[in-house]
Formats: sequence, C-alpha cells, structure tokens
Amino acid sequence: MRRAHLLGLGFLSPALVIIVMLFLVPVLLTVMFSFTNMSTATGISGGAYEINSASLRKLADAGAQESFLDALGQEAFVVDDAGITAVAAAYGEQFANEIGSQMLGERFTSRRDLERAFRKLKSRPRSTRDIKKAADLFKRSVLNVRFETADGLVGAVTGNGIAMTPDQQELLTRTIYTGWSWTTDNFALMTQIPYIWRVAGNTVMYVVLTLSVSVGLGLFLAITTFYLPSLPAASFRAIWFLPRILPNVIFVLMWKWLAWDTGFISSFLANFGVAPRNWMLDTDIHAWVFIVLINGMVGASLGMILFGSAIKAIPQPMLYASEVDGASRWQQIRYIILPQLRWPIMFICAYSTLSLMTSFEYILLSTDGGPGGATEVWSLMAFHTALDNYAGNLQYGLGAAMALVLVIVGILASLVYLRIFNFNDLVAKPRIEQ
Amino acid sequence: MRISIENFTKSFGDTTVIEDMSLEIGDGEMLALLGPSGCGKSTTLFAICGIHRMNAGRLLFGDADVTEVSSQKRNVGVVFQNYALYPHMNVYENIAFPLKVRKESRAEIDRKVQEIAGLVHIGELLRRRPMQLSGGQQQRVALARALIRKPDILLLDEPLANLDAKLRLEMRSEIRRIQLATGITAVLVTHDQVEAMSMCDRIALMDKGRIVQLSTPKDMYENPSSDFVAGFLGNPPIAFLEGAAANGGFRLANSQVTLPVPSGIDMPGEGAPMRFGVRPEFFQPDNPLKVSGKVSFVETQGREELYDVTLENGAVLRSIQSQSAGFRLGEEVSWGIAQDRILAFGPDGNRL
Repeated sequence: MRRAHLLGLGFLSPALVIIVMLFLVPVLLTVMFSFTNMSTATGISGGAYEINSASLRKLADAGAQESFLDALGQEAFVVDDAGITAVAAAYGEQFANEIGSQMLGERFTSRRDLERAFRKLKSRPRSTRDIKKAADLFKRSVLNVRFETADGLVGAVTGNGIAMTPDQQELLTRTIYTGWSWTTDNFALMTQIPYIWRVAGNTVMYVVLTLSVSVGLGLFLAITTFYLPSLPAASFRAIWFLPRILPNVIFVLMWKWLAWDTGFISSFLANFGVAPRNWMLDTDIHAWVFIVLINGMVGASLGMILFGSAIKAIPQPMLYASEVDGASRWQQIRYIILPQLRWPIMFICAYSTLSLMTSFEYILLSTDGGPGGATEVWSLMAFHTALDNYAGNLQYGLGAAMALVLVIVGILASLVYLRIFNFNDLVAKPRIEQ
Repeated sequence: MRISIENFTKSFGDTTVIEDMSLEIGDGEMLALLGPSGCGKSTTLFAICGIHRMNAGRLLFGDADVTEVSSQKRNVGVVFQNYALYPHMNVYENIAFPLKVRKESRAEIDRKVQEIAGLVHIGELLRRRPMQLSGGQQQRVALARALIRKPDILLLDEPLANLDAKLRLEMRSEIRRIQLATGITAVLVTHDQVEAMSMCDRIALMDKGRIVQLSTPKDMYENPSSDFVAGFLGNPPIAFLEGAAANGGFRLANSQVTLPVPSGIDMPGEGAPMRFGVRPEFFQPDNPLKVSGKVSFVETQGREELYDVTLENGAVLRSIQSQSAGFRLGEEVSWGIAQDRILAFGPDGNRL
C-alpha cells in the first residue's frame, strides 16, 4: 500500500468512526435486542431468581405440575445448623445440643409436627409459646428469597427437601429468572398480536399514498415552476420548500391548529352552521387525509427541488427542438421532460419508500397512531412497543424485532427497486466524442 | 416559401441585440446569415422559428403574417448546433417525433421515416440511440427530423460547427444537395465564411445586429461594401495598407511610397486617411505595380504557399502562390499588386 492510500484512509477514518458508531452499531444492537426478551420487567442488565406468587403463576402457565408447585409454595421446617445456632442463642446450649444430636437433618411439613417432636426433648423450654418460637427458627421457605445464581436457587429448593426432575429444574430456573434471556420467540409473538396485519396494511397504504402525493405534487410543482418566469417561480419554490426547513414540531402544530375544534377549518365552517370538531381525529379517513398530506408536502418539497434541477439540466435546445417539431406543452412534458426525469423519479421513489417505511415522526406528532390505531404504522408500532408503551411495560426485545422486520423489508425493497429501474442501464457508458 | 422580415427589433432585458432589421428571402433560396459571434444571427434565426418573440416588427411566411404564431404552428424545421436529438429515443423515434405529436397514423409515419431516412442516407441506423452515432450521423438524423413533416422553411444553426474538417466538407455538399432536392427555403446561420459562400445562394453579412451587406457570395467577395466585409470574407484573409490621399494617389503611412489608385473611385480630400485592401491572389511577382519588402512568414498549404511580406514601413501584405515559387524566409522581394483589383476604403471604412 502506498503512502497516498494510507493518507486517504487517514482522512477517511473520522467518517468510518461515524458510520460505525451511528449506523453499524445501532443496527447490530437492534439485531441483538431482537433476539432477547428484554423489557422494563427484565431490565437490560442482569436478573435474579426468586420464587413468589407471581412467578408461581408463571410456572403454572409454563405447564409445571401442580404437586411441584405445591411443594415449592409450601413452608417446611428443616432442622439444620443455622436453626440450631439460632436456638442456642435464644434458649441455651443445652436445648440446642439436644436438637442437634437427636433431630439434625429431619424435615417437618408443619410446625405442629416439629413442636410435637420438641416436646419429647428433655431440655425443651417450659412454655408452649417458647416452643412455638423455637420451632419458627427452623422455618425454611424458598418463597420470596432472591438468589443471584441458578445454582443457589436449586440448592435452596433441594435443601428444602423438594425433589426435582432435571426437566422441572430446567423449567424452574428458566421461568422464574427476572432478567432478560436470549430467545427467538419475538417473531412468533409478533404474529400473535391481533392488530399486526392491520398495522402492516396501514404501513403499505401510508407509503403508497404518501409517495404518490409527494412524487405527483413534486413533479407538478417542478414542471409548473419551470414554465413560470423566474421570479414568481423562485417565490413559489421558496414557499413550497418551507415544510422541509420548518422544524417538524412546528409544521405539525400548524396542521393541528388548522384541524382543531377551535382551529381554522372549524371556525370557518361554523359560518355555514357546521358543528366544530377535531377534523384530524374525528374519523379514520380524516386522519389518513391529514397524515398523507402532512408527509406528502414534506416529500413534495424535496421532489420539487430535485425534479426542478433535473428539468433545468435538460439542454435548452432540446426543448426548443421539441417546440419547433410541433409538440404542445403537454406533449413536451409527456415525451421530452418526463422520460428524462426517470432517474430522479426513481431516486425519490426508492429513497422515499425506505425513509417513509422507517419514519414515523409526523404521525407521532399529529395523530400518534389514532384514532384507535387507525393510523398506526409499523415503525410507530415498534416505537410504541419498545419505548412508549401505554401499559408501561416497554418491550425492548419485541420492539427491536419489529424494527428488524422493517430493516429486512427495506433491504428487499431496495433490491427490487434496483431491479425494476435497471440501475446499470441508467448510468450510460462514457463515450469519447468522435 | 418566401420569408419577409420587416423592421425586426429584439432586445433581451436592457440589451438591444437587433434593431430595425429588414430582410427578404426568396422562395427556394438558401440564405446564409454570416457574422462574428454576438452579431445577432442566431437571434434572427430563433425569431424566424418562433422560439424568440419579436419585440417589434413583422414576420411573413409567403403572404401570411406569422409574427404572433407560436413556434409549434409555424411549420419550420430547425437543425440545432448540437443537433438536440432526444437521447431517450432511438433514431426512428427521433425522426418520427414531429409526426407523432401530430398524431399521424403509424403506417404513414413509417412510410415517411423510411423515405426521409433514404434521402439522408441513414436507413440502416434507425434502431440506434443518438449516443451510439458519430457526429456526422447525428447531423443527418437532425436534418431528417427537421425535414420529415415537409416544413415550409429549413433553419440551420451552425450545423457544421461540431464536425471535424473532413466531415464538414462532406456535410456541406450533402446539406446543399438535400436543400436543392427538396426545393425548400433555407436559412443557414454560420460564422464560417467558407460554409456561407459554398452552400448558399446569397449571404447576409451581419455585424452588431445589422446587416452590413446582402448579396451573392461572388459579388460579396469581389465588391465588399466596407473593410469589415472585405476582412470577413476570404481565406487567407485580405491584407490592409494604411495611408492617406496625396496628389490624387495613395501615400503609404510612414513612407514616401505613393501608389496609384484604381480607376473610377471618388477620392477623398487631400490628406484624408484611406485604406487599401489587397487580396493574397492579387499580390504576385508578375504584376506591374511593384512594392518591395522582405518575406517574413512562409506557410506551406500543400498545393499552395502563403507568404507574408513586410514592407519597409512595417505594413504586411499577403501573397498566395503555387508551390513551385519556393521563396524563403527573409528573402528580399519586389512583387506587384493588380491595380484594378485594389479595394479602396475611405476614412469611415466604406468602399470608395
């Protein structure tokens, strides 16, 4: 490698760092998250093992046998060294030694049985109350105890005298773990979401309608401003470019002002006796009209600039030639201008499909998927699932899996686009003028 | 069809390019608009085809006033300097385009395209894209496209400027052949005097938005109305001698040499500045009116040789002679001027 190459790499390195940090790492993390069951409940660091009423329910759901559950849930009284030491402190060495020598390792399913055994000892305390208290010192339960490791839990359970088959042990440690774990269930889980197909349909509708509006309106604006004198054309372009340079929040806020029940449309229509209402959110169709218009305007202003500059790049004599060839304005647009806009139209289609599929900010700001999920699209669903869940349990893993589906669809879509528009044909071979 | 331009004025913003120009082009005639760049010749062409609207004046095709008619309806064929072929259509579609926008039937279009393709000799290229053609082939396609709907008028905007020298020669006669074959009225815009002289019936020489002379190529070459015209036509160009009227003759500047003037010209007053124009073919060793100088430049052109002779007062005369002459650089020579072929110009540059 020559020094110049190294220098080039050196200059490139900041860009590489940025690409890796801002593009590669997020994608890899998304892939990684999508194969976990991370959520608010599991946290994103580690977890612990704890048997409690909730985890017993989970075990029951996971198909554990009832006898096993009962055994786990029951308290037991086990004569062990820890209990003996405690007894020694409270009721004297003698009683403790007697328990140790006669009963060590014995297990009782109820306190009454242990008390009965105590009463047979010589050095037992006199009062019944003390015996009960001493018996309590041997109460052993795996309920509501946190174990940091699976081995700790298994040791405690078996130490409690509960026998487990290996299957039961595996089920127990897997089910009651409070942290996240690797799983491929997210994708199956996704298909079980009742509204998932509606969201997919919404996404397709959103992309197709918004794309049509932005390409159609962008073309219309580019062509009309091309035929206008330069000053009005420049003013029009500036006005139509506003949606793109306005901050999203302000742009959407203006649409909301327009649509609110005290907003422009309502106030205006009040003159004709129409009752005020929120025009954006009152019906599904209204919500869709606003979503498509809001996104379409933003797309159209980019399309207008791109198509406009592409039209300007058409050599002037070619347009003159079509005029003297007798082409009307419409024929000039149809046969000369539009065919030469093929590449920018393809670019806008491909670029907008991908960006529309993944962008949801205008929907989030305007309808937030409403009314009643009518305008919920896939990316917004992923956002809601992973980061903004109404129920409060943010399912990072499931949301990441949803996002991963979008990434895959996006890659497939771009391959299809390259195929349809025959990218290689678009780039003409360089040719030396003879 | 006859074209009449009457009192044509065109301005772009504050700049008036052409002011009050009138020009008549006869039916079936091929006229050249010749001039240096920026003289307004292309503007005139664009006004004829309707791409530029006239600010003032009238334009008539035959007896019809087309001043306000849009370019689509004028039935004019135009060949643009860079041909302006449509890159996304093949040759057939390019040529068929004027008929297609007139919604002629497929069979009719096909017949006409084949016919015109035969006329311009591109029958075997119809399926190619413009990008796959050489410059000369593109030129022929542009010509076919301009001619296919039998326009009343054919306009050619520097059609040969982008071709190499050999092809230019070929297309020159080719365009003239097609123009004569179709009998169409044609206007050729060019800055190349050879093109204008070899292809056209008449030449309108333009300068600064005015027509300075309008006549046949031969007449314009032999009887230029001003020193500008004389200097524009001819290759190698005419040489000028500066001087003044003295004793009924022409005294060279910074010199005691006095030359006799050609017969039949109005002499300006004694001492008034004058210019003599001498074409290279009329400055030859055998002519009687001798001037002396030194050969300061020799250019071999194959069949002929071009010499620059620097006179004693520093003025330069050119001479073109057959190869056999063999004069060398630095040689002292005394060659003669054909006296009746001297072009004399007055102080304002006009011919005397």
